[in-house]
Amino acid sequence: MTPEALLSTFREAFGEKILSTRTVTHSVGRERHAVHNVWIEMGRETLHDAVAHLTSFSHLHLSVISGDDLGEAIAFNYHFAVGFGERFGEVVLTIRVVVPKGDLRLPTLTDLIPGALTSEREKQEFFGVVVEGIPDPRHLFLPQEATFHPWRKDEAAAIGRETRHLVDWETPHE
Amino acid sequence: MNNESQKITTPRQGKTYTIPIGPVHPALKEPIEFSFELDGERIVGVDIRPGYAHRGIEFMGMKRNLIQVLYLSERICGICSISHPLALTQAVENAAGIEVPPRAQYIRTIIGELERIQSHLLWAGVAAHELGFDTLLHLTWKVREKVMDLLEDLTGNRVDYAIPIFGGVRRDIPAAKGDLAHAVLRYYRDLLQGLMDAFLEDKSVEMRTRHVGALSRGDALRLCAVGPTARAAGVEKDVRQDMPYFAYADLEVRAITPRDFEQEPVGDVFDTIIVRLLEVAQSIEIVERALCEMPEGELVSIPKVAALLSFLKKAEGEGIGRHEAPRGEVFHYVRLEAGIEEPIVWKVKAPTYSNLMAWVPKFMGAEVADIPIIAASIDPCMCCMDRVHVADRSGRASIRMKEELIRLSREKTRRILG
Repeated sequence: MTPEALLSTFREAFGEKILSTRTVTHSVGRERHAVHNVWIEMGRETLHDAVAHLTSFSHLHLSVISGDDLGEAIAFNYHFAVGFGERFGEVVLTIRVVVPKGDLRLPTLTDLIPGALTSEREKQEFFGVVVEGIPDPRHLFLPQEATFHPWRKDEAAAIGRETRHLVDWETPHE
Repeated sequence: MNNESQKITTPRQGKTYTIPIGPVHPALKEPIEFSFELDGERIVGVDIRPGYAHRGIEFMGMKRNLIQVLYLSERICGICSISHPLALTQAVENAAGIEVPPRAQYIRTIIGELERIQSHLLWAGVAAHELGFDTLLHLTWKVREKVMDLLEDLTGNRVDYAIPIFGGVRRDIPAAKGDLAHAVLRYYRDLLQGLMDAFLEDKSVEMRTRHVGALSRGDALRLCAVGPTARAAGVEKDVRQDMPYFAYADLEVRAITPRDFEQEPVGDVFDTIIVRLLEVAQSIEIVERALCEMPEGELVSIPKVAALLSFLKKAEGEGIGRHEAPRGEVFHYVRLEAGIEEPIVWKVKAPTYSNLMAWVPKFMGAEVADIPIIAASIDPCMCCMDRVHVADRSGRASIRMKEELIRLSREKTRRILG
């Protein structure tokens, strides 16, 4: 699948709901072959439909969901690999969803991709987001009783109580 | 045998009970806790609880400059100690727009593939040990030493090779070292058929691994499995093929499945052995070709570390790096902001993270004595279990040593051989 084809099916299906798109091309190898990363930003309410749309025409591999504390909001990047099985047949597609801190909710994707569970559980415990409909809401990596969210930049004080400074020069937590 | 272990072998009609295995574990170097629900000897449910080795590496990385993060990434895993730096350097190079000279891309490929050879041989030895086939363990680990020595000759270290740097590599492979590498590859080429026969033509290995820990193609896809675990289930998925990088873009790597051994894939332990051994042969071929076709030229695009650091401090953007590690796809995401030395976001995804959920269908329906080999089938980390906690239904806990589980596994081998 080419990035153009991927983006055009998205534009057809979602039109105005796509907030922004970007295709980044890198060259690899001695022959400087081109490989593509596609980035799409969408609203939280479109995420589930977008993934359902993708799974309707191609197998979808969710590599991982990464999170990015922006201050007033948290951006969640869903990193997918679309298409596999042939040389240069895969495109890395990242769907970015920005969620305000006052309303930290995301829909679960586990009904479409059961393998998303690991990453959704991790985002719940590390960012304090609520994944609605998640079949297993327990902590995955942190102790069950942990109440702090290590990747939240506004929780430095709470995180500081739970972590040790490993080296002297490391900036102390405020 | 004490009373509690007798309970385990007594089938209970309609009633199940739970045994926890781990966090210190029979088949993995890293601690992980399994909770098995058993009906007699049959596994009817499993709950997996990782997190015992959670060191907060991403958290630490977001407080360090990128060169320090590179060294930190090398220490995420000892067995894949080049896989994480290869993914991280790609992510940062993509974010900051740094070019990698072709010769450096070939050197990265060569070290990456040598790591695959040592990792798959390590795994094969562990698998043989789990089955009670220790002569094969010793043979496999003896021959593995050659590639460890070669890695030491090429990089200075057996593990943590410190080869990639943002924009290139830190060491060249001069012609004399190339000859050394060719000799080691010839050594493996000559012995590989014998090793394949020892694993794949042996009756007891086949009886212990065929149809044990099977994973269907559908489950592998739904659960986002990666690496040899997915390929053994017939999923032709390999980052080196699907989205090539480095020299893989020139060398035409193809995903290996059991079909390459004229077997229809069932995703069981036997299939994972087939895939990993064939991948050793594939890696030998890749390294030989890469050594011959490696272009001359620069090793690194920004040679001075101070200049590199100041360039990275000015960089702004986000990038993704992926590498097909011995166990599957390694994925790194970074976001950089101009004026800040530390990455704003660093997300690391290791292959076992993706394969975690594939364990569940693999364990279902298996017997207690198959737990070590099924656990090992996903992850080639060396066996390092000290003891197992076994609790009965009243909650009383006892401690079972590693030897007892290994003994159960070996007794089963003897039993089926009659």
